[in-house]
Amino acid sequence: MSAADGAAPVDAHRSGPGPVAWAGIFAATCLLLVALNHILWLVVPALLALVLSYALYPPMRRLMYAGLSRQGAAALVTSVFLIALMAATLALLAWAGARAEDWQAGVERYIRGGAMLLERTLAVLEARWSVLARANLAASVTTWLNDYSNTFVERQVQPLAVSIIAWLPAMLLGPFFAFFFLRDGRRFHGFIARAVPNAYFEKTLDLLHQMHQTGRSYFAGLMKLTVLDTVALGLGLWVLGLPGAWLLALVAAVLAWVPYVGSIAGCLLVVLVAATDFPQDPKMAYWAIMLFIFVRLLDDFVFLPATVGKSLKLHPLVSVLMLFVGGAVAGVPGLALVLPLLGVAMVVGAALSAILIDRRLRARHLYALRLRAEQAAADLT
Amino acid sequence: MLGFLRPAPGNELQDLKALSLFSDLSVRDLKIVQGVLHEREYLAGEVIFDEGEEGNALYIVRTGRVLICRQGRPENPIAEIGAGGFFGELALLDTAPRSAQARALEPCKLAAFFGSDFLSLLETETKLSSRILFQFARHLGRRLRGTVL
Repeated sequence: MSAADGAAPVDAHRSGPGPVAWAGIFAATCLLLVALNHILWLVVPALLALVLSYALYPPMRRLMYAGLSRQGAAALVTSVFLIALMAATLALLAWAGARAEDWQAGVERYIRGGAMLLERTLAVLEARWSVLARANLAASVTTWLNDYSNTFVERQVQPLAVSIIAWLPAMLLGPFFAFFFLRDGRRFHGFIARAVPNAYFEKTLDLLHQMHQTGRSYFAGLMKLTVLDTVALGLGLWVLGLPGAWLLALVAAVLAWVPYVGSIAGCLLVVLVAATDFPQDPKMAYWAIMLFIFVRLLDDFVFLPATVGKSLKLHPLVSVLMLFVGGAVAGVPGLALVLPLLGVAMVVGAALSAILIDRRLRARHLYALRLRAEQAAADLT
Repeated sequence: MLGFLRPAPGNELQDLKALSLFSDLSVRDLKIVQGVLHEREYLAGEVIFDEGEEGNALYIVRTGRVLICRQGRPENPIAEIGAGGFFGELALLDTAPRSAQARALEPCKLAAFFGSDFLSLLETETKLSSRILFQFARHLGRRLRGTVL
């Protein structure tokens, strides 16, 4: 009954893709980035739904273990999430609405605080280097900053608010998609499997499983990275004595989901708060910058390889190069999407190259086709 | 005690229940297992898997007969598996290469049970998968005793 398995080696040998397959993987990743950049309104909610389905799967699993059907468990966890989200949104809107004027004044105050820090730093630099003084750097930068901060709300905040409103309907698709991912994920898996010929069946199903695992470990890694970043930065800011240290750290860690651009935005945020809340002590802002750089280094060389990089099994050089390519091909969304896309393309590329170059599988498939043709024509001769 | 209140399993579920591997499962458990199986149809002579191929799934024979033999030597069969039997079960434990070839002796319907699905059942359905594991251990024990004797 079981003679098909036996005293074989414990681990099967898996050779990686060759140079041609790697070229295909990089090309496919870039093409996917270009294509997805044009349907971001669909890609972002789909990604959100994927992350949400990974996050909601453990409670759903518990409910299924308690005896609920898959459909019932999916409906229950999604409904509870939606109710919690709506309650949180309403509470946030009520809280933010009551402080709308404070928020506007706060934004302007923090921008002025940042501008003052820059002015002061440039003045110190001009006093030390006459070349800078002759270039009148401080005056020109101050003039530009004043112009910028005077029109900041109209130029940046209003478009941001409009784009948030425009994105809201698309984002609402997230929980909707997540429900169907949770409920019908397995059915979809079976649907794909039925379309695959017998010869390629096992390998294709294994490929689908690996893709699922890659996606799940990437987003799980990203969540762990966010927690580690928040703890490291929050601890540093708390030691420095910055107000709202943990909230700032959390916002900076979430912004860091978008590589480079997000990190710079997070750093700017922390520096603005430090410069504004400690106007008489510019050293606080410099300490905040140094702390931020230290956490970034820690993140790039310790946390990232141990969480996201480990999950995708990517060489650090490839990760960095692909980040540049992602940014060049699709801008900020490209930076955020390039690594998960590369991970998926790697798994698909490796498996497809293994399947397509396998002459035995092809021969088996052709033989099966011939058998089916003979069967179909059996009574025609 | 109130076993008569439990729904009787359908034909496909009864076939599953007849397998030693799933003999301890309730109707609910059998439905869950049924949900992760992939039904396939093979023609007589078609290769199901080759010797040396990475093993990812256990196959249950629903109808027809399957021949287990050394690669390319169907004239010297190692075993013949009929309806209700299963083969390739070590794929539930690891992805070791298959040690023999499996071919359909006659048109047959098979159900594939993937090792990855079994691993996720281990996470989601602890009781169910521990029952399968127990039967699996007994099955391996019987095989081992047969080999030693």
